[in-house]
Amino acid sequence: MALFILQDAAGIGSEEIDTLQAFVDLVIIANDDGVGIDDPADGKQLVTYTRTLDGEPQVRLDELVNTTFEPDYGDGPVNVDTIIVPALIGFTLEDGSDVRHNGKALPPASSGLPGAGQNTTENCLALYDTQQNICLARDGTDGEITLPISNPVLLYHELSHAFRIVRNELLDLTFECDPASPEENAAIIDENDMRTQIAERQGVTAELRDPNNHCGSVGCDSGCCIIATVASKSLTSPQVQFLRSVRDHFVRSTEVGYAFFQQFFYDYYSFSPQVCTIMLGNPHVSERLLEGYINPLLDFWNIMIERSGGNFNDAELGASFVRRHEDRAAAAARLEALQRTVAYWLQQESDADAPAELIELLRERAWPSEYIQWALINPVRIYNNVLTLFLEGADETAIGSMFNSELDAWTPEFPISDFWAALSSEEVVKELEFCENVLLQSATSRKRFHQRLLDRFTDITAIDFALNGLTANTGVVQ
Amino acid sequence: MKGRKTKPDDLKASIEAVEQVPGYTDEKTGRKTPGELEFVVRMTNDSDRTLHYISDVRATRYDPNTKTLVVALSDEGRELVPGAMMKLPVFRRIDPGATAEIRPRIPDRIVKLSRNAPPNEVAFETHQLSEAENVVVEIAWADVPYYKDTRAKDDKRLPAARWEQHKARSTRPFKSRA
Repeated sequence: MALFILQDAAGIGSEEIDTLQAFVDLVIIANDDGVGIDDPADGKQLVTYTRTLDGEPQVRLDELVNTTFEPDYGDGPVNVDTIIVPALIGFTLEDGSDVRHNGKALPPASSGLPGAGQNTTENCLALYDTQQNICLARDGTDGEITLPISNPVLLYHELSHAFRIVRNELLDLTFECDPASPEENAAIIDENDMRTQIAERQGVTAELRDPNNHCGSVGCDSGCCIIATVASKSLTSPQVQFLRSVRDHFVRSTEVGYAFFQQFFYDYYSFSPQVCTIMLGNPHVSERLLEGYINPLLDFWNIMIERSGGNFNDAELGASFVRRHEDRAAAAARLEALQRTVAYWLQQESDADAPAELIELLRERAWPSEYIQWALINPVRIYNNVLTLFLEGADETAIGSMFNSELDAWTPEFPISDFWAALSSEEVVKELEFCENVLLQSATSRKRFHQRLLDRFTDITAIDFALNGLTANTGVVQ
Repeated sequence: MKGRKTKPDDLKASIEAVEQVPGYTDEKTGRKTPGELEFVVRMTNDSDRTLHYISDVRATRYDPNTKTLVVALSDEGRELVPGAMMKLPVFRRIDPGATAEIRPRIPDRIVKLSRNAPPNEVAFETHQLSEAENVVVEIAWADVPYYKDTRAKDDKRLPAARWEQHKARSTRPFKSRA
């Protein structure tokens, strides 16, 4: 006996443990149907495995399941089993650390190994949060924390630690995450084996984790992204890379931008995965969204980036728009696609061709969110209006004038999060400078945004100081 | 440190309110979002220099005997454990003479391995944190920003625990506001 999944335990109910998810994750690791579990006994279920494949994960799993481990931690050989503990919301270690959005491998209590003090048993415990949203360092990016992790990969990471714990071969751990310690480096290399296996099964290029970097954060845009799915069914398509660049360097590089995206992701991923599922059964929805929504959104943000490099007057902004639409036939086709989409995406109305479940989902989850409205819906509404004017024959100045007018109304409605209240006055000034450079380029929009901040945070000194200082310097807020 | 003028009570914290955030289950995805407690914490910097502090919860400790809940925005006392990833604290700073407000959240219950179980049995103990009678929020801070310490060392503390100089503490009777 060597590997178990916890099924029930004193102090909690069986519904607290997601045994089925752990079993599914083991099946994905095995990559065949050789994994089984025995009936529950003593609150846990024994894992069985008959290996048919020779990949690294299968050989590792085979050894964990079918070997009796008797490591000698200093007091003679002792039998050590590994018990997988999935889910368990609110699980907290003895030192107060929260295991939410993480995984941990706890060596037996008397082993003397790092982490043993957090274990009350003589088993090795592989704990992981099956509802995690973890973001890790992507390989080849010099430490960018942009890589999500799936449950089977997370479990396999913990089983990698467990494998060395039960063999008493745990490598050195250090108190830094960059560079990763030898033990974490080894676990990440194993983790990448699983990532490669899953990618090969799905027929896509594997996205790997940097083995030299063990840092991470909570919150990653994992789950199904409508934009990625529609654009090219790949997270590495040029469209997706562009939007990632917009997110990370244009908005998310600031504190307030980062806070914005924390809430935006929360709202976005409350409906995006289900939209992906709907699109699987309705391919025409995906086709419509590409030209009727995704490409207009990309064009809009492209122009916003260009605009952030300099304060465009009407003629310059109009020229930027026209330059992107020199092929009038293509522009007309796009407008037609936009207007087909507009019924259910922008005007929030039912549409004969749109599945009812899609409309219901958007009505319930997407449209009520001010973050979704600001970042994903209003930009395309503006683009639609400007494109219509362009195709009616307006000149560059008229197009730019309308575009600037629409932007002046849209930009200052940037959602204001509670995070502003935690900033120092210097940070408030810095964040405002950024907002003014890239978004609030007119006095009208700046005035409106400052007033919204003042109305929201009436007694936060840093904001008061920063805005009063700005008022004194610029006279923007009267 | 010689010449350092910062005093341990230069950063003051005050728990203004404790809010209960109900949990829910997403019917479409089955994903459970646990109920949470949100602490509205006001801070003031009484010193003449900018102070730097940890703004996210690093540990939650509950003593059922004294019914005291400690919410630690500090890495002191945390142990190194093999795991999926190491998350550095989120650091913020506060101007001289300024106020700031943060709203850290924790799950409204904690589940721990039980130390009273028979040997080799996995057993847990669950604590509903709304049963707490007192709550303490501890915020680690220093008068310099956090920098990675590149020296060779044999110091069994997490990097942010080596960085912190003081803790701002606020204690209040626990009375959540639904």
